[in-house]
Amino acid sequence: MSDAKIKKFRVGVASCGVAAGADAVLELLSARATVPVEGTGCLGHCYAEPLVEAVLEDGKSVFYGNVKADEKSIENILNLGEEGRFEVPALRKAIEKVKVLALAGRINPTDFDDYVAHGGYAGLRKALTMRPEEVVNEVKISGLRGRGGGGFPTGNKWSFLAAKQADEKIVICNADEGDPGAFMDRSLMESAPHQVLEGMLIAAHATGATKLFIYCRAEYPMAIKHLKIAIDQIYEHKLNHVDGRELEIIVKEGAGAFVCGEETALIASLEGGRGTPRFRPPFPTDKGWKGYPTMINNVETFGNVPLILNEGGAKFAEVGTEGSKGTKLFALAGDLKYPGLVEVPMGTTIAQIVFDIGGADRDSVKAVQTGGPSGGCIPAELFDTPVDYDSLKKLGAIMGSGGMIVIGRNRCMVETARYFLSFTHRESCGKCTFCRVGTTRMFEILERITAGKGTEEDLALLEELGPKVRAGSLCGLGQTAPNPVLATLRYYRHEYEAHVKDHCCEALECKALVDLFLDQSKCVKCKLCIKSCPVGAISDNFVIDNAKCTRCNSCAAVCPKHAIRRVKKGSN
Amino acid sequence: MSIEFFLDGRAVSAEPGQTILEVATANGFKIPTLCRENRISRTTSCFVCVVRDKKSGRFLPSCSACPAPGQEIEVTSPEVLDMRRTALNLLLSEHTGDCEAPCTLACPAHASVEEYVRAGRKGNFLESLKIIKKRIPLPMSIGRVCPRFCEKECRRNVYGKPVAINEFKRLAADLFYDEYMEELPPETGKRVAIVGGGPAGLSAAYYLRLEGVAVTIFEAMPKAGGMIRYGIPEYRLPKSAVLDRELEHFTKLGVQFEFGRKLGDNLSLDELKQKFDAVVIAIGCWKASGMRCEGEELVTQGIDFLRGVIENDCHAANPGKVIVVGGGNTAMDCVRTSVRLGSGDVNCFYRRTEAEMPAEKIEIAEAREEGVKFHFLVAPVKVEKRGDKLVMTCRRMELGEPDASGRRKPVEIPGSDYEVEADTIIAAIGQSAAIPAGVPVSRFRTVEVQDGTLRIADNVYAAGDCVSGAATVVEGVASGRKAALEIVTALTGKEFPPEPTINVSRGKWQDLKKEDLVFLRDNVSEADREKLDFIPIEERKSTFHEVTSTMPKERVMKEGERCIECSCTDKHDCKLRSHAECAGCKTDAIKGGKLPVTYDTRHPLIIQDRGKCIRCGVCVKICKEVVNKTLLSPKKRGFYTYVGTAFDKGFPASCGECGECINACPVGALDWRNKE
Amino acid sequence: MDQKYSFLEKIGREPSNLIKGLQAIQGAEGYVSDESITAVAEYFGIPEVEVEGVLSFYAQFKRVKPGRFKIAVCDGTACHIKGSVQIQEWISSALGIKSGETDKNGTFSLETVACLGCCSLAPVMSINGRVYGKLDRKNTIKILKEYEAK
Repeated sequence: MSDAKIKKFRVGVASCGVAAGADAVLELLSARATVPVEGTGCLGHCYAEPLVEAVLEDGKSVFYGNVKADEKSIENILNLGEEGRFEVPALRKAIEKVKVLALAGRINPTDFDDYVAHGGYAGLRKALTMRPEEVVNEVKISGLRGRGGGGFPTGNKWSFLAAKQADEKIVICNADEGDPGAFMDRSLMESAPHQVLEGMLIAAHATGATKLFIYCRAEYPMAIKHLKIAIDQIYEHKLNHVDGRELEIIVKEGAGAFVCGEETALIASLEGGRGTPRFRPPFPTDKGWKGYPTMINNVETFGNVPLILNEGGAKFAEVGTEGSKGTKLFALAGDLKYPGLVEVPMGTTIAQIVFDIGGADRDSVKAVQTGGPSGGCIPAELFDTPVDYDSLKKLGAIMGSGGMIVIGRNRCMVETARYFLSFTHRESCGKCTFCRVGTTRMFEILERITAGKGTEEDLALLEELGPKVRAGSLCGLGQTAPNPVLATLRYYRHEYEAHVKDHCCEALECKALVDLFLDQSKCVKCKLCIKSCPVGAISDNFVIDNAKCTRCNSCAAVCPKHAIRRVKKGSN
Repeated sequence: MSIEFFLDGRAVSAEPGQTILEVATANGFKIPTLCRENRISRTTSCFVCVVRDKKSGRFLPSCSACPAPGQEIEVTSPEVLDMRRTALNLLLSEHTGDCEAPCTLACPAHASVEEYVRAGRKGNFLESLKIIKKRIPLPMSIGRVCPRFCEKECRRNVYGKPVAINEFKRLAADLFYDEYMEELPPETGKRVAIVGGGPAGLSAAYYLRLEGVAVTIFEAMPKAGGMIRYGIPEYRLPKSAVLDRELEHFTKLGVQFEFGRKLGDNLSLDELKQKFDAVVIAIGCWKASGMRCEGEELVTQGIDFLRGVIENDCHAANPGKVIVVGGGNTAMDCVRTSVRLGSGDVNCFYRRTEAEMPAEKIEIAEAREEGVKFHFLVAPVKVEKRGDKLVMTCRRMELGEPDASGRRKPVEIPGSDYEVEADTIIAAIGQSAAIPAGVPVSRFRTVEVQDGTLRIADNVYAAGDCVSGAATVVEGVASGRKAALEIVTALTGKEFPPEPTINVSRGKWQDLKKEDLVFLRDNVSEADREKLDFIPIEERKSTFHEVTSTMPKERVMKEGERCIECSCTDKHDCKLRSHAECAGCKTDAIKGGKLPVTYDTRHPLIIQDRGKCIRCGVCVKICKEVVNKTLLSPKKRGFYTYVGTAFDKGFPASCGECGECINACPVGALDWRNKE
Repeated sequence: MDQKYSFLEKIGREPSNLIKGLQAIQGAEGYVSDESITAVAEYFGIPEVEVEGVLSFYAQFKRVKPGRFKIAVCDGTACHIKGSVQIQEWISSALGIKSGETDKNGTFSLETVACLGCCSLAPVMSINGRVYGKLDRKNTIKILKEYEAK
């Protein structure tokens, strides 16, 4: 029991918090607490959700993690009990450099004043005192590169649009965060929507833009809601009046097409059409939305802009590496202890992120996948690589937008590649031959291999098609789709060969290549497995009929003694 | 300000806004493209037009990329050609359709089956005959004796019996063979000697004459026809009523015959080589294979037996109890001839089972109707003479593992021997070529020709059974034509278009269901196959009268209504096919799933066949941007993208049938339903 | 235009708002019917076939009426790694429907989605937008039972 007085509570109610039950915690805590209880954004510690922060009168805070929405837990928090207290792990604290996410989880995302009270819109105010070309120059000095994955120097892009003379100039925020496994942009939009919008307004001043769009995935309802509230507040405070222009800020919801992350496809979609890309040039800065000069930046890129204005480009560039400045957000997920959102300086090694921050077990990690389905895997042996645009490219992976999936030793790399191709080939728009047919054929080959029906010719065809699909596809989707296959073939060819030649999936993940085995010596005859089996494949004397079994793992999941496991097909 | 750049090292200049494709085309480069149509905005879809920027190594779609000053573009480098080939192979891998009808592809002579059936269906049998004779100069004979490779692949097999294709040949020839006289071109002055007047020799002669080459056929026998005269019994092919009539035409065409001239006997190859511009050896397979068992000299050879009967105008002694050893068509000819000579006890012995018999099923069935008894899984071990009878020791067999031919190999059952008695034992095991000295022999005991050609050496060619081993009449005819065209090319320099190498297929009918088929016409007949009329069984057994009569015209026309017309409407000007051929593509280079068959023939004039669509979107843009109607749109996405109409209800009434989309479609995905 | 689509009036008529219009229709009716396509086409002045072309491009739009409870199993990378395929199979066998189908009573419809953005709680699913994380066989079945009882 502490003597400190509680000033207010903050409960993280971003999407992942809610998914963990934070809304119920918020409700119960609000009912019980006598001090204000605020819903706030994401602190990045998803593994500890729901997360409650008790802000004390003395300015300090006490955090509670994995809070349950029951009286006992709430009582404990109200009393500042010792139980369930949450501390950011020390190793993480040492490595992390929270700049872009500084306000996430610290403010009420839908409270304009809260944002301003925490230094919000100071960057815009400063920018408006500068001439547009000075702002562009500041961004150039900062060395900021596009955070959506491409890594194009942001200042250059801005200067292209600034140079255009046109009735309308368009700035678009690409919030179509489609990479499965990435949620940096969602988190930022949900937790600090004004920060993104401030970046856009600064861009509008710097480039002379007349219209601002945010193209956001419809799967992010909270982000959309928070953005819309923030835009209303901006209108209310007339912050959209820039250089005498009254800017329109429009949120457009995507409708579920990964390819719309590609600039020209995004524009086609914004125009109300099918989200198919077109050949560049002309680039959007020459001919974009409805033919007007258009510039597209990613959410996180815009999120960085207020910082650059606040601290100056040169100061911003002090963090990071020679070619990659500033910090980068990563969404950590997969086989690790502390999944969540992290912000680290460019140049931090993968090992630091995965092991020190993510708490992954050094012996059980096989690889990480960066860049989602467009990226590649990096084997654990190369984890000393610093994360920056150029180092990752050298390894056959890409920075991507920041998804980082940790792959454990018990995962099959062929299956991993198959999974990514199943995604990309489904998301192909179908316009160009190499992507539409090429990715489908590659996916089919991977399906065959994981089903134990692959041949050496299949492997050869994968190796032939991969580079050709890369080289011959119209847009980034097809140009990067082969990456997960080529990267896994590069580092884990032996796994492919084992599937093809020996019909063996070492990781025991590929269903067609495994049997289920019930270890009678461990079995306690509780019959839970028999009850759970959807196809009646387990006999009364606890023998699994692998001819009937669909490898659904229901039995293994319910077995209290872990007596059921996968084994190589035909091995028992 | 024009832009100077390089195409394959050649300096060229472009106007601003011009694409690489436009500049390349203007400068005489031929870059293939499927999706570029000049009247509409760019689609940048097919990527068949890729070129490469030499400096960066990047591939660019030339239809959309504009050149940069000084840029070096590779138009025909190996890497570029390889990328184009891959793009086309990928498109072929998702392409569902039949470039050519399976019947036509199955025909060894590549006769345009669908086309002659269609002409016949419409009652135009003269037209039908003209089409047939482009590939088959012996339609009267082949219309009777062909084993019908075409019908075996006919898609009607998917549901019911195949179209009775051969009856079209037989009727067309019976009706118009004498009337139809080909126009002969002026004589070239070239002269060719053909050794052997069988199907291959006759065919070579025919196609040489059509090219203005003088032909002399040297025939060892007293009459022309080769095996179709001396090997095929009268009841299947009447000699004076049919064959003589058919061969008369060759004389009309100016073919010279010299009978009783046998190579190596009274005819010298060296002399022919000198006297003629070219020589074709088409001597057939006239040497019977032995039974390879003790006492085989006591056995009559099948082809000798048949020839003896034919030479004697179907008069021969009753052979008594007959055993014919063998399971091919010659064996069937022997048993059925034996029946007609009065034997009441005719037996066929075959060492495998009926399923493995190489003879035509219909021949087996007809033999059985005529009372022939079959004995399977037996092989002769010994033949001996006991008194005035022959006794054959037989051994029982069982089927083992499949051999090289894919048929299961017979394996002897030890201790299963037994004896049978007979008056006549006929061996119909097989035939080979009797190759005279001076002609090279291959390891298969056939005439050796140069790879992929029918040329032996110098100006000497070979054709027919002596090259292939004993085969069918239609194969002989195909071979004869091939030799003729090779000779014409060698003598005159005239080139003939090769057979198309790209033939996308929906697959073998055995793997298809009715839903997999595309019916171009609404009223494909569901009727059963028209049946041939047979003479009464007693007449069959006691005379050599032709077993079947030619089907009447009305019934053949009706039979034609059963044809599905499988070939692609666009087979003659499909860009995918022609580019794929030029690029050296293979239809099975990349395999994979295809979209389920969906086609739309609700419009009376237009077919939309989605399986053939390459998703270039040209039709959509033509309708929208040129016709100003917007009746089409791409739907869904990715591999499942297709072009559809509003609510997929088909072309609406507002479609003016202007044909713009059809003309612009690079393949046969949108086309007129009428094939003429 | 049918009165029941009068809510479209709140959206500007320019064709670039087509997707927004379709989203409004789906928001109101749960799916996009032929009838509503006709209404949208008329409202925006876009041919019906093009409206179909656009909506069939995007995974969000449904052309058949979904169940009362729309289950979306996330198959994003993190969830996939954590066994989302099995989650889906368990749901499929419990409800007797495959991805993309609605059950006979119209209670549940099941679909697989790319990523719900809750990767750290993998594997996750959402039912009518509410996200459920850290699924295993037991809690998945339990959640389904709870909805079934509603």
